[in-house]
Amino acid sequence: MEHTLTLHNDVQEVPLLATFIDTICEENAMDMEMSMNINLAVEEAVVNVMNYAYPEGTVGEVRIDASVTDGLLTIIISDSGTPFDPTGKEDPDINLPAEERAIGGLGILLVRQFMDTVTYQHTDGKNILILMKKLN
Amino acid sequence: MKTTIKEQNDEIVVYFEGRLDTAASPQTDKDIQPVLTADKDIVLDCEKLEYISSSGLRIFLSILKEAKPRGHKVSIVCTNQNLLKIFAVTGFTNLFEFRK
Repeated sequence: MEHTLTLHNDVQEVPLLATFIDTICEENAMDMEMSMNINLAVEEAVVNVMNYAYPEGTVGEVRIDASVTDGLLTIIISDSGTPFDPTGKEDPDINLPAEERAIGGLGILLVRQFMDTVTYQHTDGKNILILMKKLN
Repeated sequence: MKTTIKEQNDEIVVYFEGRLDTAASPQTDKDIQPVLTADKDIVLDCEKLEYISSSGLRIFLSILKEAKPRGHKVSIVCTNQNLLKIFAVTGFTNLFEFRK
């Protein structure tokens, strides 16, 4: 079954995303751990779009399409903002001491950690980020 | 999301309750501001925390970055295995002292 959610570039709409992901997790009988990991990866990817895809002060949209086929969860996050490939960003060094640890950069690391594949493409003026995760 | 700050046994204990997601983080960040100038060791109690995303992790890191140069310890109390995994993959288990 396919599900679609469209949000604005406003992080206060993140709880709507959590409800949307919870519905998909429940439909596919995912356990708490899987459900939290997917919520986290999708939140990080969507918030990245909300914060950086559109110029400050302008309203834009981010669309989330989710489906499960043969035990494979596919989440497609698309927006019409500035072209940006988050997969091109290096993970922060998590072994650095506190004084040297940067405050940011953990978002994309969490997306990579909790998804099996993360693919970016720019098609028809849209940023398209595809997250995939094998269930069980 | 609810944040409560208490002084207990010469420590400051911050109790986090609920979902610390990107939407909740700005308020939580305001709530913990008094902790940043506290002259005591700090305990971040996550026993009632259900979820944390990178925006919440950034708040934890900012508390550590303020406390450590002033010679104070910051510990995390957490028994939720799912949250512990998030602390592990982000390297937080190396930065903070963990208590049960």
